[in-house]
Amino acid sequence: MVPGGIDPKALPDLTQRASSAHRMAGTVTAAFAVLGLMWVLLTDIVLYAITHDHVLIARIETAKGWIFISFASLLLYAVTFRSAARLDRVRRLTAAVVESIADGVLLLGHDRRIAYANPAAVRMLRCPVEELIGMNAADFSLRFHVAYPRGGMVPPGRFISQRVFDEGGPLDYKITLEPAGGGEVVVSATAAGVRMSVGDQATWVVSVMHDITDTEHLERLRDQFFAAAAHSLKTPVAVIKADVQSLMPAAGPKQRRIAASIDRQCDRIDRLVQNLMVLSRSRSRTLEMHPSEMELRPLVEQIAREGVWSYRHEVHTELTGSPSIRADHERLALVIRNLMYEASRLSLADSPLTLVARPEGDRVAVGVRYRPLPWRDRVAETYGDYDDIGIGRSVAETIAEGHGGSLSDESTDTETTSWLRLPAGAGAHA
Amino acid sequence: MTKCYDVLIVDDDLDMIEVMELVLHDAGYKTRSALNGQQALDAVAAEMPALIVLDMLMPVMNGWQFAQAFRSRYGRAIPIVVATAAEHIERRRNGLDVTDVLPKPFEISDLLRLVARHVQLPPPASVQ
Repeated sequence: MVPGGIDPKALPDLTQRASSAHRMAGTVTAAFAVLGLMWVLLTDIVLYAITHDHVLIARIETAKGWIFISFASLLLYAVTFRSAARLDRVRRLTAAVVESIADGVLLLGHDRRIAYANPAAVRMLRCPVEELIGMNAADFSLRFHVAYPRGGMVPPGRFISQRVFDEGGPLDYKITLEPAGGGEVVVSATAAGVRMSVGDQATWVVSVMHDITDTEHLERLRDQFFAAAAHSLKTPVAVIKADVQSLMPAAGPKQRRIAASIDRQCDRIDRLVQNLMVLSRSRSRTLEMHPSEMELRPLVEQIAREGVWSYRHEVHTELTGSPSIRADHERLALVIRNLMYEASRLSLADSPLTLVARPEGDRVAVGVRYRPLPWRDRVAETYGDYDDIGIGRSVAETIAEGHGGSLSDESTDTETTSWLRLPAGAGAHA
Repeated sequence: MTKCYDVLIVDDDLDMIEVMELVLHDAGYKTRSALNGQQALDAVAAEMPALIVLDMLMPVMNGWQFAQAFRSRYGRAIPIVVATAAEHIERRRNGLDVTDVLPKPFEISDLLRLVARHVQLPPPASVQ
């Protein structure tokens, strides 16, 4: 028995193939049989050549038997010792490797109960190994309150260490545990079945638990920071925007232009803040979509009217029918504004921008059509690195995918259209 | 449409209060202000406004708490327009029982349009 509560002999030895074991055993047995036969034959020939005394022959035959048994015993000891020592080394090495893994390792037997827990698992769960051994999924759930990070208990039947017996794997997920003594541990867990041959039923399951509590905590802090920063930025932006708009009626032409520029930059900061929030949440897998049934036409018309584009371009709309979709209004507006901004940056000054919305079968397409600069590709590449076009496109793709949609570009000799295609809502109609 | 004329602006940012007051005064409305939900409850207890423009994230008593307390004490007669930088406010308004939502940053024209929807302009003599 080694620390951790498992007899290493219980571990299946997968280091040796069955064919090589058969070959080795066959070689040793054959050698033993040949040597034994030669010993019997040769000593009999010599014995009968040197004497015909039956009493002497009987005594020498007995002595031969004892000698044979002694040599055979020595040989058996040597072979067994060598094999057992090698096996023991492999087992001790395997146990030492598992024991030294910094992640928690649980080994489940075919009865789906914990058969082994390494020291890291014991430390992580703060539970004596004697209590862990033999624990089934229901016991584990009761003891450690296994939950999804965003809330909701994980039913014992949904533990990956149970599912992997039936579904194959490996499987992974992120969970929270409440170890003995309180507190919460966030764990990235992986479970894999141990099979003696490909296609066999898993006889053992290895579940590895990686403690990501600190990483999760940092991600939550980052998320909170971005949320706080966004709110903190939005308020001064709102004040500045309202201030400049209130100045406009009494301002002269020059002051009006400056005020309009400040107003546009406020809109740009607002869009940047929203993009950074989406990026941050996407990275921490906490981005939420709140879709609802919505008409596309009012949103497209509203964005087309916004001064941030119209100061530089004439903005047209091409709306076919009244397509409706099921989408997160705020996020969808951000996608369209990102595409409009990209089109504005990559198009010829004073060239028109056209916002298109139309049903396409079971999908709805929203496009921004523009006349690209002759060196659009090079500009896009540079902007992708140093401007918020790259961020905007990345955010747009994330949101599109979150809605089950996609982004694509279509180009002719003179025009490029950036398309957002989303599944049509239940009430979609032309 | 009520016969009161004044708009109660509830926001913890003095500059935001000031610019909204300037804009609404220029448009002919009377305004009062409060820096948090508790001050706003005191203000409505003293005199009921025609409309409440409410920020959400405020110290002492936030917008959600104010809206709940206000609705439980005074019912639904007075409209509340939420003006906030909080995310997904359109979705979260369902639990708030508010009348309209104005996401920050907003266009002044949108603010005036929403206020005009709920508040009758006072006769010229009563404008301060």
